[in-house]
Amino acid sequence: MKTAVVLITAIVAQALGDVCLTKGMKAIGSLETPNVGFYETFSQVAHITLQAFQSPMVWIGTLLLIVFFALFSAALSWADLSFVLPATAFGYVLNVAAGNYFLGESVSSRRWAGAAIITLGVLFVSRSGERTIETAPEELDAPGVLE
Amino acid sequence: MITGLLIGLVVLGGSAGDVFITKGMKQLGEISTLNAKQLLIIFGRAVTNRYFLVGVCFMAVSYFSFLGALRLADLSLVLPATSISFVITTIGARLFLKEVISPMRWAGILLVCIGVALISIPSQP
Repeated sequence: MKTAVVLITAIVAQALGDVCLTKGMKAIGSLETPNVGFYETFSQVAHITLQAFQSPMVWIGTLLLIVFFALFSAALSWADLSFVLPATAFGYVLNVAAGNYFLGESVSSRRWAGAAIITLGVLFVSRSGERTIETAPEELDAPGVLE
Repeated sequence: MITGLLIGLVVLGGSAGDVFITKGMKQLGEISTLNAKQLLIIFGRAVTNRYFLVGVCFMAVSYFSFLGALRLADLSLVLPATSISFVITTIGARLFLKEVISPMRWAGILLVCIGVALISIPSQP
């Protein structure tokens, strides 16, 4: 239950963070010509970086991604990596949906198919139990803990 | 050739990073508090944990290799190729963290890997 709450919050934070970052960065614009000299490229990158720092959307997005990483790490303090990592892949599905809903991106049938396959995979993983190793001495007798 | 090498670094760096971060977090023990002061102490322990820090360094290697790979190849190649990291990380978790990967879990991970590859190939206009 704890794992589910933490991971779902993490995934939602990541998807929202990606949307915010995309919105913020798209508003700034991109590098103009790719093959200009070093100085021009450098000044363009510096300019974009400065603008990014001033964009609230970029800050919110970054903050949400930090929240994601903190929750992801927290879950790893008790659950298997081979459980947490594939479980967070559900974020890809949310990202496709959020990109479609909030950013108006069109989604091909192949990408929807990929989203469906990921969902199925995450269902499989979630049925495999969240922990197969003991982490602390007092939990040696906990149910579901193997050697 | 160099692109392949960089993609390899993206995958191996990311997987090694995840394994080390897990090792560090497991060393801290299960987090089961919502007390802000306690959480702050745990945060302090995490960012000073050797395994955790090595993990973050591997993540950085992976990230910069990713940027490097993007300079040489299209995102449409790099992104699907990195979906193999779900499998590599699982092998790492089995070898170094002694996690037990049941057939059910393997099946789920392979499905996730295939799905992520499908999603990350960009649509042709």
